[in-house]
Amino acid sequence: MYTLDLQPKGTFEIEQKLDLNTGQGGGGRYNLLKSKTGLEYGDTNDFQLTGYLNAYSVNASKNYTNCEDGSPSCTSGWGVPGSKAGLNSYSKTSIDGVSLEGIWRLTNPVVDPVGVGIYVEGTVGSYANALETRLLLQSNFLDDRLIVAANIVGEIEKYKWNDEPMEESIIDVLLGVSYRFAPKWFAGVEGRIHNDFSGYSLKNRTQLANFIGPNIHYASKDWWMTAAWRYQIGGQCWAPGDADCMGGKVADSHGANHFIVQVGFPI
Amino acid sequence: MKWTPSLLASVMCVGGASMPIVAHAKIYMSVEQAQKAIFGNVAMENKPVVISAQVQEMMRDASSVSHPFASNRIWKTGKGDWFIVDEVVGKHEMITYAIGINADGSIKQIDVLEYRESYGAEVAEPSWKDQFIGKTAASTLKLNKDIKNVSGATLSAKHMTDGVKRVMVMYDQVLKNLH
Repeated sequence: MYTLDLQPKGTFEIEQKLDLNTGQGGGGRYNLLKSKTGLEYGDTNDFQLTGYLNAYSVNASKNYTNCEDGSPSCTSGWGVPGSKAGLNSYSKTSIDGVSLEGIWRLTNPVVDPVGVGIYVEGTVGSYANALETRLLLQSNFLDDRLIVAANIVGEIEKYKWNDEPMEESIIDVLLGVSYRFAPKWFAGVEGRIHNDFSGYSLKNRTQLANFIGPNIHYASKDWWMTAAWRYQIGGQCWAPGDADCMGGKVADSHGANHFIVQVGFPI
Repeated sequence: MKWTPSLLASVMCVGGASMPIVAHAKIYMSVEQAQKAIFGNVAMENKPVVISAQVQEMMRDASSVSHPFASNRIWKTGKGDWFIVDEVVGKHEMITYAIGINADGSIKQIDVLEYRESYGAEVAEPSWKDQFIGKTAASTLKLNKDIKNVSGATLSAKHMTDGVKRVMVMYDQVLKNLH
């Protein structure tokens, strides 16, 4: 999730993020690894721009039990074309496309009771196009050692790996708490409430999935690292997406476990 | 934040003395160097004090700084000036700084001794820290009130301002009554 700690004016940073969703309720195997390689720039002290090069790797094998042809298992999930459902396994690794992200900090949690920011990211890729917006909220306590943050996410996506593109929209709420327990080290907990809708209108909810897990952050003068693990507590699915639920959890682009690692290097 | 030679040069001009600055400018000066930079070649006596729980609470309430104040890093000149070293929380590590207080209770100067963050070292520059010269315990000493922020270093500026505030509260309640 995003906080309101932005690049100072005129400074650059290189970032690398890896995002792994793994383990779906149907047995078999599903791993979705996404990579974002970014160059971040502080245009002003309250506005930063980041350009990303995106890649992904999907590896699936007999991970779904709700199969269109009635088979006991099939190969499916985010990134797996419908035409490949009958295969024992499917994998693809590719550069996907690019993203451009801007974050505006309207109020600063260091000096204001609540920090507020706006995040916008546009993505163009061979697998998916997306437009994501977030309302960023943050309050700091205890000499800014305790950070409480929330992201309210609205996103529209067009998935292009099937013959017919699929349009979806998302409303997510992310909540996090992080505490500096030692010099250079923060640790905390974060949760995510995820809602998928078919189409762009937010009328037809197809998924609800809840996640929670720990995070840890280390930073020195020359680099920083953040890692998080979000465990899917459970979820529900509705038509036309009800095939994406198995064992009380949501599959699709999600797994039982979501691991995130991000590193950054000021330059 | 790039550790530029111009920043090193501005620190080296303080007091006119040469400084063993670490190449990447993490450590600006030692305690002894800061004493000379602020008060010249004046003899100082280490004067640790015991701060009561009541005064500690006053310091916290006035400044909102919760990091404990180490009261053993206090020195006094023969004329009644005071030199105090304090630490406040930076974004990831501590910022160590010093305050020189004149015998009349006004701030003579503040200096950053150690700064370990990627960004925000503007708080070590005279253009920001000279705002504290002449302030007293009666001053507001609050960022965006009587102390201007330096955008891009807001967290460091806020914590150092709050640190100076709590030191001045301690001076007013404890040091100025000592002989």
